[in-house]
Amino acid sequence: MSSKFWTIAKRDYLAVVKSKGFIISTLLIPIFWSIILIVPGLLATYFFEETDVKIAILDKTNKEIGKRIVEEDPKTFFLERSTESQLNNKILNGELEAYVVIDENSIINNYVNVYTKGGSGIGYISKIEKVIGKNFRKQLLAENGLDTNLIKRIEADFKVETKKVTQEGIQKDYSTFYSFFGYFAGIILFMLIFLYGGIVMRGVVEEKANRIVEILLSSTKPFDIMFGKVIGLGSVGLTQLFIWIVLLAIISLFAGQIISMFISPSTSGMQMASNFQQTAPNMSNFEIPPIPAEFVIFFVLYFLLGYFMIASIYAGLGAAVDQEQDVQTIITPINLIFLLPVFFISMMVGNPNGTASTLLSLFPPFTPILMVARMSSGSVPTWQLLLSLFLMVLTILIVVKISAKIYRVGILIYGKKPTFKEIFRWLRQA
Amino acid sequence: MNEIMNALEVKNISKSFRDKKAVDNISFEVEKGKIYGILGPNGAGKTTTLRMIAGVFHPDEGEIHILGQKSAETIQSKIGYLPEERGLYKKMKIIDQLIFFAELKGVPNSTARQKAFDWLYKLDAVDWAYKKVQELSKGMQQKIQFIATLLHEPELLILDEPFSGFDPINVEVFKQVLLDLKAQGTTILLSTHIMEQAEQLCDDVCLINNGKVVLRGSISEIKSSREMDTVVCEFSDGNNFPPLVGVKILNQTQNRVEFRFDPNSFNFKEFVKKLAERVYIKKIELSAPTLREIFIDEVTKGGK
Repeated sequence: MSSKFWTIAKRDYLAVVKSKGFIISTLLIPIFWSIILIVPGLLATYFFEETDVKIAILDKTNKEIGKRIVEEDPKTFFLERSTESQLNNKILNGELEAYVVIDENSIINNYVNVYTKGGSGIGYISKIEKVIGKNFRKQLLAENGLDTNLIKRIEADFKVETKKVTQEGIQKDYSTFYSFFGYFAGIILFMLIFLYGGIVMRGVVEEKANRIVEILLSSTKPFDIMFGKVIGLGSVGLTQLFIWIVLLAIISLFAGQIISMFISPSTSGMQMASNFQQTAPNMSNFEIPPIPAEFVIFFVLYFLLGYFMIASIYAGLGAAVDQEQDVQTIITPINLIFLLPVFFISMMVGNPNGTASTLLSLFPPFTPILMVARMSSGSVPTWQLLLSLFLMVLTILIVVKISAKIYRVGILIYGKKPTFKEIFRWLRQA
Repeated sequence: MNEIMNALEVKNISKSFRDKKAVDNISFEVEKGKIYGILGPNGAGKTTTLRMIAGVFHPDEGEIHILGQKSAETIQSKIGYLPEERGLYKKMKIIDQLIFFAELKGVPNSTARQKAFDWLYKLDAVDWAYKKVQELSKGMQQKIQFIATLLHEPELLILDEPFSGFDPINVEVFKQVLLDLKAQGTTILLSTHIMEQAEQLCDDVCLINNGKVVLRGSISEIKSSREMDTVVCEFSDGNNFPPLVGVKILNQTQNRVEFRFDPNSFNFKEFVKKLAERVYIKKIELSAPTLREIFIDEVTKGGK
């Protein structure tokens, strides 16, 4: 590598790292990802079942089942002792939002009718399913002679506790956590690779459009210009990853405390819905399992190799066009190949060591995303990891060779939207 | 070891794009320490020629020897190239940009910084050092681009239309810069389609048209080889100026006329005599044709 190569790499590195955009994205991207990861979960458990609708209960049985329901959730339910036509009038007058009729028949057949003025969301339905449904089941079981302890045991959630056998003995297995982790790690890697590949392409197009490239070409070889940029911007990616890994390490050290601070009912000055508190005991036990150093190292390696592959292709194609918009038509088929593995991530996570998973994850364009997903959810044999690295390096060498040719020819051709046919012609002449 | 006399030798270079031959078998030599002009109309092949010399791309045929070397790549740090279409990084600070381009030519960072400031100071642009390119006007960017080309003190400067985009004041400033560099021994190869600029600045020129060399040599040689057939005449009382027959009028106003004649059919002495009878002559000058006229002669001759 010549010194000019490093001069170019250094310029491209500093141009991005010193920019406001880099600082902002380094801070915002993790926040954005956390929101994507955490909010839907919270929404699902918390807000979906939450409702402001007050539901009257018209209990026509004399089993006090209505009373028990109100006791369980007095915020939503209250007892009403009148006739259905009176309640209908109240709904029409707007004095009442909803009422539920409970009679012998509905307990036996396990259903209830809810009457509203319509359009009250879906939160109240989940609430009814959960609270009233549970009480119906209890009632049925009790009527059939089961004792209350037995009912409690039946009502408790069924749990699978996974353990793994290791040399050091039986250990807790965090398979579920790692599966989700693998899924998101794969997606994050995919986004990062394309993010940085895109920056490379924009850089190449900018240099071409501004004719800076002519001065560069009079100073050094095309290869230095192209791969100085690829290396320089790849280093930006590494810097960003490094910052994130350090941040993540610090956060995970204190994760237990942070999470319990937010979730534990004892510290909650904040008002939590009662049903959320029910799930709280599970979550205050929540711990972030250790993320193996090996995984972090391979994540970085796969980022680098995946980035190299995409960035080389993008740099070559960027050189072939005059402006960024023109690149879309030729780049789409290539992007599709790299997008495809995203659809296989769940397969990797679900059955990490199946034949299909193994083969797909060894196909170089798929490797970074799928291997990261597989690695976090199952134990991938070392030989497969090494083989995947070898195959990727081999592919990159070929891609680099082709892209460098496209770059060399394309960078000085203006005024034409290149087609694949045209590019193949360049490859022959270069 | 004998001294290399020519900074640049271009031997029979050709370059085609698709079916069009942009440069067709061009040869010329540039002597060390001279200012050499590549002249020609738009689309003549000037830029393509300069790009090949600068090493932006290679000729299809022919050879280029720069400073005794066969290819521009090995002596890239000794040449400075100003492309026709200027380009700088829009979001980069001026000083960082100048240092970057100098570093690409092998100048160490601290030296580059010092020289960049020297030049900015000299060209009255030191206030812009920490501004971004996009904040500057076109003319200012042009100045910066010029500095970027010169900063590493190249032995051979390749300038493609160096004065386009400058106002007349800056044209004079940079002409002086080029003459100073020449005095220090720098060889300068420049292209222009403005013949008057070339006449003022260049020692030798090469006129090209449609990718081919039409004429080359030193300006004084080219001119002295021509017959004195150009007349510039200033007078008062222009109403009485006799009608001119059988000459090519280049420029005519009320009290001034510039024309060329054919020595076989036009008698200059007779003309002066007749003229003196009718108007009051302030100035009359007989000279060789201008470079522009010579060029037009050559191009039309080639077309016949």
